[in-house]
Amino acid sequence: MDVLRTEFTLNDMPIEVTLPVRATLADAIRSTGATGTRVGCEEGICGSCTVLLDGRPARACLMLAAQARGREIRTVEGLAAGGRLHPVQESFRRHRALQCGYCTPGFMMLAVGLLEREPNASPERVRAVLASNLCRCTGYAPIVDAVLAAQQALAGEVI
Amino acid sequence: MAVVRGHVGAEAPRADDLPLVDGSAMFIADLNRDGQLWARVVRSPVASAVIVGIEISAAVRHPGVAAVLTADDVPDVQIPIRLPFAATPECELALQPPLARDRVRYVGEPVAVVLAEDPFTAEDAAELVALELEERTPVLDLRAGSGADSVHDRLPDNVVNRVPMVCGEVDRLFATAEVVVSESVVVHRHTGMPLETRGLLAEWEEGEGRLTVWGAAKVKHFNRQALAQMLDLSPQSVRLIEVSVGGAFGVRGEFYPEDLLVPLAAMRLGRPVKWIEDRREHLVATNHAREQLHELEVAASEDGRLLAFRDRAWCDQGAYVRSQGLLPALLPALQIAGPYAWEGFSIEASAVLTNRTPVGTYRAPGVTEATLVRERALDRVAAELGLDHVELRRRNLIAADRMPWVFDLGPQGEPIVYESGDFPGSFEALLAQAGYDDLRAEQRGRAPGGEAVGIGVSAFCEVSAVGPFEQARIALEDGRFAVYVGVGSVGQGVATVLGQIAAETLGVGLERVAIHHQDTADTPEGFGTFASRSTVLAGNAILLAGQDLRRKAAAALGIAEDTLDVDLEYARLAPQRLTGEGTFEKEHPSFTFGANLVLVSVDRELGRVRVERHLVAHDAGRAVNPALLRGQLCGGAVQGIGAVLFEELRYDRTGQPEVSSLEDYLLATAGDVPAVEAVIIENPAPTNPLGIKGSGEAGMAGAPAAVANAVADALGAGAESLALPLTPARIRALVRARELNAQPEAS
Ligand code: FES
Ligand code: FES
Repeated sequence: MDVLRTEFTLNDMPIEVTLPVRATLADAIRSTGATGTRVGCEEGICGSCTVLLDGRPARACLMLAAQARGREIRTVEGLAAGGRLHPVQESFRRHRALQCGYCTPGFMMLAVGLLEREPNASPERVRAVLASNLCRCTGYAPIVDAVLAAQQALAGEVI
Repeated sequence: MAVVRGHVGAEAPRADDLPLVDGSAMFIADLNRDGQLWARVVRSPVASAVIVGIEISAAVRHPGVAAVLTADDVPDVQIPIRLPFAATPECELALQPPLARDRVRYVGEPVAVVLAEDPFTAEDAAELVALELEERTPVLDLRAGSGADSVHDRLPDNVVNRVPMVCGEVDRLFATAEVVVSESVVVHRHTGMPLETRGLLAEWEEGEGRLTVWGAAKVKHFNRQALAQMLDLSPQSVRLIEVSVGGAFGVRGEFYPEDLLVPLAAMRLGRPVKWIEDRREHLVATNHAREQLHELEVAASEDGRLLAFRDRAWCDQGAYVRSQGLLPALLPALQIAGPYAWEGFSIEASAVLTNRTPVGTYRAPGVTEATLVRERALDRVAAELGLDHVELRRRNLIAADRMPWVFDLGPQGEPIVYESGDFPGSFEALLAQAGYDDLRAEQRGRAPGGEAVGIGVSAFCEVSAVGPFEQARIALEDGRFAVYVGVGSVGQGVATVLGQIAAETLGVGLERVAIHHQDTADTPEGFGTFASRSTVLAGNAILLAGQDLRRKAAAALGIAEDTLDVDLEYARLAPQRLTGEGTFEKEHPSFTFGANLVLVSVDRELGRVRVERHLVAHDAGRAVNPALLRGQLCGGAVQGIGAVLFEELRYDRTGQPEVSSLEDYLLATAGDVPAVEAVIIENPAPTNPLGIKGSGEAGMAGAPAAVANAVADALGAGAESLALPLTPARIRALVRARELNAQPEAS
């Protein structure tokens, strides 16, 4: 099988992987042992595999690993810093925004991508963006609450 | 340190969240063993055919392929039914072999397994397996009867069972009724669709003769037993381990063909084998649910008293009877009477085979279908009588002072017993929280603006907390109180709730308790996680085990039990190796009341339904953790909204599934649903010391019915049968039909 070497940055660390040509970015990330990026459909619908690609939320299952060459990828493993959970992670716990937790990393990366780029996003905008991922357990309200609360927390931190 | 109380009823944070939010939790796809091979299942591309030949040589020659297995390589066994009461001799003729022999009976049926060095190679090679098939006419109509081809030759009428039930003098009641309404409802095929697909990893240690399988869920002790028997091993040499589970909803964790194929391949090839289902496979391979046709007749008196009903039902089993046996036909029959004081009823439910993916149990099985059918019909009765929908239900809910309520099924049947509850009181609590009268006023107020606003209600009685028993063992290990139970966690937070019960019983802090449920090697034999039974059964077993431990500890230390602080004495107790043991037996299942109220608006042009409010009331007996309970109720209700508005597993006329991705199988998103409001009612159950009732499924059970009723109410279509799911195209058709009907009067 044809393989290809690709280099990218994963959570601020330079990474080099050698994988079959058809491996996706999700395969590449997971092959490094960072398996928090979950795969629910492999066809871009569910959003479980959402990561930040140069700061924007992207479906890691829809890109080939080769397309990530030279790009900056952030995943759930890169959220906590200095032994502290990211405010979005804290907020998901506090608001019980997870049950099985399979969708959680994808939702958190989607939220972080949104809140970093649009810290003042309206609640309607937050809800609309969160509608791009699927959760089968929570019924969504706790996820929306968690992200809105995290937005407040992040605003407090910036000031 | 004082004895700690007050855990039960507190909103304790979930015990197991941290690894899920930091990404470190291990789901089955995240596990690997050195030297593992990857399995890929070759599946039938057609709904019904005779297998003439399977040509595997090209696949075997493909570089990187270790082996290809077909039916000749696997033992001649079938997947057994795990519940003896859900089996009949006919069922035994329709059990599924792990790989198809001679016949394929649904699109997606496993016919071969390819084992290869990596998943890409396995998938490529699977495409090289050539099937020579002689197609037969598929059986797709639930009422085809014996005129059609047969799914299984030994069952020419395609029926595996008929469930008859009779209570009271039904014909007499119908003869005296002033109003008789008939409703025919087709409940459409949909299913659990957890976000994580199934997966397994198996390892065989030849030297020790030990088989380990990761990826179990739901009923791991039964599956261990079944697997051991199929492989001719002792159950003690087989170990099933549950890792993080990304949702189960009843479909995940039953014994599927892969549950034999993956371990068998690991034994044959002497290497670990990993299999991860892809979403397309999941859509045809994992149990479907719900598809059934009901013809319901309801007899009522002029003053709105429900007298009797007759239900005839045809319940799709799919192409094989799987591990849950006849439950798809039994459970609706058991729950269609609901919370109303019927004087009689008769039911005949047929379990029918078709050439579609086998049907299993999905969250709130049977009660969801039955509630949809009955509550639609009740709205028609209300329309016929000119009575408000809520008023009709008020007049007929079983009064609290008539508990326990018994539906006597005569000499052939075990009676249906509702042991406790206050149905009218619970229903009124729901209406009060909703502000029912104000909602009706709002509906009237919005009508002149052209808005189609509707209110729907549903009430139900759900069978839950099914026995026969669960066991618990508590030991002092690693500085904590280690609690071992046989139920499973499928993402619903069961470990947290059981931890609360253990901590309360022992009188210690939550952090002092560790719940172990993952591994058949160290957990007591259990019946698993289904029918909202885990908290009730395992919770009460823990209560008994905790009391046992306290008793033994008091005796060992010579301290009076009521002053004993087991935590304070931990250091003295630990060396004594005491264990507390508890078994909670439950002979009869319990029935629990629930109800929904929904406000929708319908866009007549676009056919879009907006659920503006959704309330779900549930009698939890006693809420061990109200926050987690709300999470279960709200999550279940949203699944129910999606089920009735969006989700459908469609098939074409040749038995080909028309849904092959989540792009076709639409799940509700954050943009489609409101924040569901939970109304928790606590009327303690008299039949278990903790007083709790099952809660895992109550959010789902009445949601589709209430939404359907609300849509009908909005469109003024109370007296019409609705085709489900209520997609925009169907709503637009309904609106058009009503406009056409209305025109002659207008002109
Ligand atoms: S796995 Fe990437 S969107 Fe579903
Ligand atoms: S928490 Fe299970 S899918 Fe979202």
